[in-house]
Amino acid sequence: MLNFLNKTRQVLYPGVRNLSNTLAARQSNVSSETTAAAGDKIAVPKPALILPQNYKDYAPVNKNSARQAWIENVDAVKERKLGLIELHPDVFAAQPRVDIIQENIEWQRKYRYVSLAHTKTRAEVHGGGRKPWPQKGQGRARHGSIRSPLFKGGGISHGPRSPTTHFYMLPFYKRVLGLTSTLSVKLAQDDLHVIENAEIPTRDAQFLKDLIKERNWGPSVLIIDKQDEFPENICYATDYLGYVNLMPAYGLNVYSMLKHDTLVLTVDAVKHLEQRLLYQLHRNDATSKGGKFKLDQV
Amino acid sequence: MAASIKLMTQTLLQRSLTALSQRSLHTQPAIFSSFRSSRQVQPLEQYPEVEVVHNPPEWKYVERLLPPQTVPQPVAKADYPSGWKPQTADGNSDGYFVARTKNHMVPVYLHTRHRGQRRITIVRRIQGDIWRLEREVRDVVERARNGKLCATRVNELSGQIHVHGDYVDVLREHLKSKGF
Repeated sequence: MLNFLNKTRQVLYPGVRNLSNTLAARQSNVSSETTAAAGDKIAVPKPALILPQNYKDYAPVNKNSARQAWIENVDAVKERKLGLIELHPDVFAAQPRVDIIQENIEWQRKYRYVSLAHTKTRAEVHGGGRKPWPQKGQGRARHGSIRSPLFKGGGISHGPRSPTTHFYMLPFYKRVLGLTSTLSVKLAQDDLHVIENAEIPTRDAQFLKDLIKERNWGPSVLIIDKQDEFPENICYATDYLGYVNLMPAYGLNVYSMLKHDTLVLTVDAVKHLEQRLLYQLHRNDATSKGGKFKLDQV
Repeated sequence: MAASIKLMTQTLLQRSLTALSQRSLHTQPAIFSSFRSSRQVQPLEQYPEVEVVHNPPEWKYVERLLPPQTVPQPVAKADYPSGWKPQTADGNSDGYFVARTKNHMVPVYLHTRHRGQRRITIVRRIQGDIWRLEREVRDVVERARNGKLCATRVNELSGQIHVHGDYVDVLREHLKSKGF
């Protein structure tokens, strides 16, 4: 099926982009919309949202890999497909580098981890200033302090000292590849959904619960919008739902994507992420992002 | 006659020398420049009137000078004097695909270790059937070394083939001839 899609895409490559403007496509979508709307009476007969990808600036590395996703609604529990979005294959069909994903996870765990394990050296343990017994004549081993590491209750040599930071920076392009790999993995595993916007009709959490159950979204859901100011209703609805979280696109990270089963992106967020990640993959001054991480750098 | 020529050259030399010393006196190297040495801001009336223009038509000439933010697409030509070729393959015919880098180059590199004694050619950014490409690469390299065996290593996860020895030019030309 995917092979067939790829082949048709190769043939239709330039033509398919104008699909949204052709009247036939609109009408066919409208007719399907109206048949769906007859059932639940919520749907508004609106032309289907077909968002083609502009490959002029960033041509895909492999012209064979095409990815598309349905644009879903969130204004009702019942699922309606509002349109189709063409995803850039460099971002959403990248090679799933599980090694880089793992490195990202390890980095995200470690850079904020401060080890508080602590031991006392022989100098810090109380007492032990006196020579326990004379150097010679007792037939016993020579010792200078009862807090020496050899003694029970003595100090610990080379023990953990608190606080020990484990901060380090992963190389910049490993972080970029981590994002593209994880997004690709999520899409390939059918755990990535695109919604039109984050406007839900009510602040009731039950609505979101029903919606998630109806659409088989995973036990935990991460909703990403472009801006960090989400609509009021979804903020109230998710406030006490621990397993549904909101995040702006600039906060997207590998750890959160893997922590949540389902990733839900708004159309704006998809466009924003594609633009930012493709810029990073094609930028001219990429070497400026290499080199050692300095603590005072921005 | 000879004395006059000598005098003339001397005066010329002197003049050029004084010019040099004057210049070096009056130009301060940037390394010693400081905000202390620059002139202080004068009252605004002393400066000429300026007009702030938004989107002037001349701005396009400035933009022309600014470096592009991302790597631009190559200009299509019949042939390129450097020997560079645009990618023509779409990956349908071979079962594998070798992507170009963002700078539109063929991703074949040489890694040297042990003070240049171990040379390993690395083909990167391979998608699809990497094992098929590996067989082809081995064929090409063995032909290049007169039928002697060629040692390769495949990393399927990261899409890389490592070839023992320096066969960068051979493999690059081979991939270019296949359209990658």
